[in-house]
Amino acid sequence: MSNSTKTHAMDMSALGRPQQDMNMDQETIALDVPGLSLFYDAKQALHNVSIKIPRNRVTAFIGPSGCGKSTLLRCFNRMNDLVDSCRVDGQILLDGQDIYAKGVNVSELRRRVGMVFQKPNPFPKSIYENVAYGLRIQGVNNKRTLDEAVEWSLKGAALWDEVKDRLNESALGLSGGQQQRLVIARTIAVEPEVLLLDEPASALDPISTLKIEELINELKTKFTIVIVTHNMQQAARVSDYTAFMYMGELIEFGDTNTLFTNPSKKQTEDYITGRYG
Amino acid sequence: MKQSNFVTWFKTGSPWVWMNAGAVAIAVIMTLGLLFLIAVRGLSHFWPADVMEAEYTIPGQPTITLLGEVTTREQVPTERLHGAGLPVDPEKSEFMQRELLKVGNRDLYGADFRWIVADWLTDERYPEDVIAIERREWGNFYGYLLNVSQDGKVIEGEQAKQALGASVERAEGIYKEIHSLETGAIGKINSELERIRLRQRGYELDNALTPDLQAELDAEAAVQHAHYAELETQLVDLYTAFNRDSLMARAMDGQEKRISMSAVVRVFQPNAMGVPEKMGHYFAKLWEFVSAEPREANTEGGVFPAIFGTVMMVLLMSVIVTPFGVLAAVYLREYAKQGVVTRIIRIAVNNLAGVPSIVYGVFGLGFFIYFLGGNIDQLFFPESLPSPTLGTGGLLWASLTLALLTVPVVIVATEEGLTRIPRSLREGSLALGATKSETLWKVILPMSSPAMMTGLILAVARAAGEVAPLMLVGVVKLAPTLPLNANYPYLHLDQKFMHLGFHIYDVGFQSPNVEAARPLVYATALLLVGVIASLNFAAVAIRNHLREKYKALEN
Amino acid sequence: MPDKEAFNQHISQQFNAELEEIRTQLLEMGGLVEKQINDAIVALIEGDAKLAEQVREKDDAINQMELDIDQECMRILARRQPAASDLRLVISITKIIVDLERIGDEASKIARRAIDLVETGQAPKGYVECRHIGHHVRRMVQESLDAFARMDTDQAFSVAREDKSVDQEYKSAMREMITFMMEDPRSITRVLNILWVLRSLERVGDHARNVAEHVIYLVKGTDVRHIGLKRMEAEIRKEGKAE
Repeated sequence: MSNSTKTHAMDMSALGRPQQDMNMDQETIALDVPGLSLFYDAKQALHNVSIKIPRNRVTAFIGPSGCGKSTLLRCFNRMNDLVDSCRVDGQILLDGQDIYAKGVNVSELRRRVGMVFQKPNPFPKSIYENVAYGLRIQGVNNKRTLDEAVEWSLKGAALWDEVKDRLNESALGLSGGQQQRLVIARTIAVEPEVLLLDEPASALDPISTLKIEELINELKTKFTIVIVTHNMQQAARVSDYTAFMYMGELIEFGDTNTLFTNPSKKQTEDYITGRYG
Repeated sequence: MKQSNFVTWFKTGSPWVWMNAGAVAIAVIMTLGLLFLIAVRGLSHFWPADVMEAEYTIPGQPTITLLGEVTTREQVPTERLHGAGLPVDPEKSEFMQRELLKVGNRDLYGADFRWIVADWLTDERYPEDVIAIERREWGNFYGYLLNVSQDGKVIEGEQAKQALGASVERAEGIYKEIHSLETGAIGKINSELERIRLRQRGYELDNALTPDLQAELDAEAAVQHAHYAELETQLVDLYTAFNRDSLMARAMDGQEKRISMSAVVRVFQPNAMGVPEKMGHYFAKLWEFVSAEPREANTEGGVFPAIFGTVMMVLLMSVIVTPFGVLAAVYLREYAKQGVVTRIIRIAVNNLAGVPSIVYGVFGLGFFIYFLGGNIDQLFFPESLPSPTLGTGGLLWASLTLALLTVPVVIVATEEGLTRIPRSLREGSLALGATKSETLWKVILPMSSPAMMTGLILAVARAAGEVAPLMLVGVVKLAPTLPLNANYPYLHLDQKFMHLGFHIYDVGFQSPNVEAARPLVYATALLLVGVIASLNFAAVAIRNHLREKYKALEN
Repeated sequence: MPDKEAFNQHISQQFNAELEEIRTQLLEMGGLVEKQINDAIVALIEGDAKLAEQVREKDDAINQMELDIDQECMRILARRQPAASDLRLVISITKIIVDLERIGDEASKIARRAIDLVETGQAPKGYVECRHIGHHVRRMVQESLDAFARMDTDQAFSVAREDKSVDQEYKSAMREMITFMMEDPRSITRVLNILWVLRSLERVGDHARNVAEHVIYLVKGTDVRHIGLKRMEAEIRKEGKAE
């Protein structure tokens, strides 16, 4: 078989079975937002947003800057708590439990809902310690357990082969793309249920971006993934469902294929085709 | 067109570059000049100068012979010499040269130095057999060796010189033995006896002194006394041996003087020494300066206790100020709600850094020593009252006062470091399920350690050079023992200590022999600069290492 | 609802220009195809061999236009990654030009038959039907292109509906021709030529319907191929995009 045919190797499943279409009715819901408003002091940043994030799917949030997509993402693991002036009004149900209820352990929540940020932010420690960080926080100190978890996570983040010989070197010596995958490895090491990605590839070069996208595709079998991105093509490539937000409101939410070929709202249409808003 | 040329040149920005470069150059020149001045003045002190012998005739007076080192030459107005009662003619010349001659032999003439008018000197010569004797008291002796009496035997002539060398060496050996006995074993006994006395006093104060206890204490004291008696006989023997030998020397005016070997530190013939020998002598003196204890009201000998005290105080201050400043900064930056109150606190902290240091000294004296120390004495050391333990100046209070003085610097630097840690790193840690304090411990504090070190460096630089407050809270001109020694409890936080800065002040202004001590002021100043520089370099090295380790994400 | 002006509202002026360019090219190509059909029918009916020859020669130009537009569309796909209505526009155009090219081929075929008929002598029958159906399908092509230019789904739908009646007319004309051939076997060769022409015209009608369906896809975003007219109408009547 020549190389040229390999690059577009056929998926044999395409022959017989009908292609599985994304249908919201058949999904189990990981995160349910029945109606959420968010305020920074008097300024309202989210206007009664309702959305259901399906389990083991990639959901993308797109929208212009300042539309509230990152804010919404940060609500899912209560990262907005760090902002003093921020006030949340409404519920977010993770497996039926309101994460904004009183008495919720925020650290525990954040362990279940991991987050990867725009800029790779590895700690100034060794590669190994970066990945083991979350587990050490939980009090895991058994060397064997940690070794296994580190290897599993790095393999899961498609980084193992590149770093297995230098686990004890500083993580800051890695390239940007490797650092971002390391951060993903670090996040999946604590085995969260939901993975929040806040523009994970916006600081990376196109090849690293593709690697991250490929990784997202692999990770969705294990995790529910929510990704915020400025790059519409990226959202179109990686996501199963896409939500378009504008001025703090959820304008349209639907399966990616439909949203990118035939959006039902004019605002969505104008945004994804690059017209004046 | 000339105007426009100037304007164009001005617009290129070159004038600013030149001005900046000029400012830097002036700063560098001033720093180097300062260091050069104190280095030359200070280090030349240890060089063995030649000893001049000359005939000196003040007109109208009999001729005398002078013997000594020329230390300075200067031009003075003749008018002034005339005014001092010297028979000079102000009409003849406006200025005359005069020389400062170190003649030593303070026990014979009352002063080490003598001003002489250069014109009246005749027959200057540098005889090789002039000896200079450094003595433990009365300063240097310059003269000619007559004989050495060794164990009752008098040796004259050429053999006398060799015998002298042997005798001085022997005396030095005995001196070391006596010194170690006095500060070591006898010091230990004294400190034990003091503790027994304090225990007894403690029981008395508690009304718990039973005859049994008294007997026990007496027995312990008796053991120590017996031990002391033993040592004392040993000491007496040593002193007898120490005083066995002596030498006879003739001073410049023909007086003959017997000097016991116990008083001799070093004998040398400056005029007979070649350059290599002088170098050897020079480095020996230099080593003595940094390693030995001071003699003769600090004007001779070394400054080791002052170096030790300075370093000790600075280290203790660092140990106190770092956690204190870091905790305060962490609270202010990480936990306190940012608002009017924190802003006021920050302003207060910043202003605290500008308060004159003597004010801290007064505060240390009033609050730490009289209030805290006094109360602690009442509560914990009543047995030693009325002599205060912590109710007087000491290492602890000095360090605390300086810690207070430098804590704003550490707070500001640490806060700066904390703010510079990228938000993304905190969020990264929090997003992994770490709590705020875990994030603080595992990520933020390690990463801001270079900033803390920077704060500490600034603190050390400020504290090591501070003298004024220390004079109020525990520095003395001469401390009998080091604050860290072999006697329980080893680190004596309550003890007074010596400090290089204060040493400079003391030697320079409080010394009975200011002229003799002036070079020492420079030497000590140079040493102080050296100590501070090395403390700083050590801290900078640590900081750079940390920076390299945590150079995270600064791009 | 995406309308003609919408393509001029991109933030990227270059993108505007490119989309406008392929639209214009498509309409140009459509105009040429329309003229080809017309000329072919005229040549047939009037027995004008010279005109028929011209029609056959112009087919090459249509083929070239197809290639050009195709390439331009591919370039836009690769470089602009159009989404939503832009994507549908480019996709529709690539499909419409295929149908237009086929219509051109059919016109060429009709011209070929016209030349044959000039050589063999006029057919005894069928010219009326040819003129009638020819006129009909030419109007369908014209209307489908109008529907594209105006983004008019109603017009597009009417084209699709027309196709049904063209099919009917074609069937009855064919029956008539077959009856005639059975009665007069000597004219079989010539009538067969007419029959070929009728078949080509019917194909043109099918292609016009395809174009109309692509226009509906372009405007509505729903694929209306291979479904009945009823369902097609239902899709068209569906509520449009919320403003």
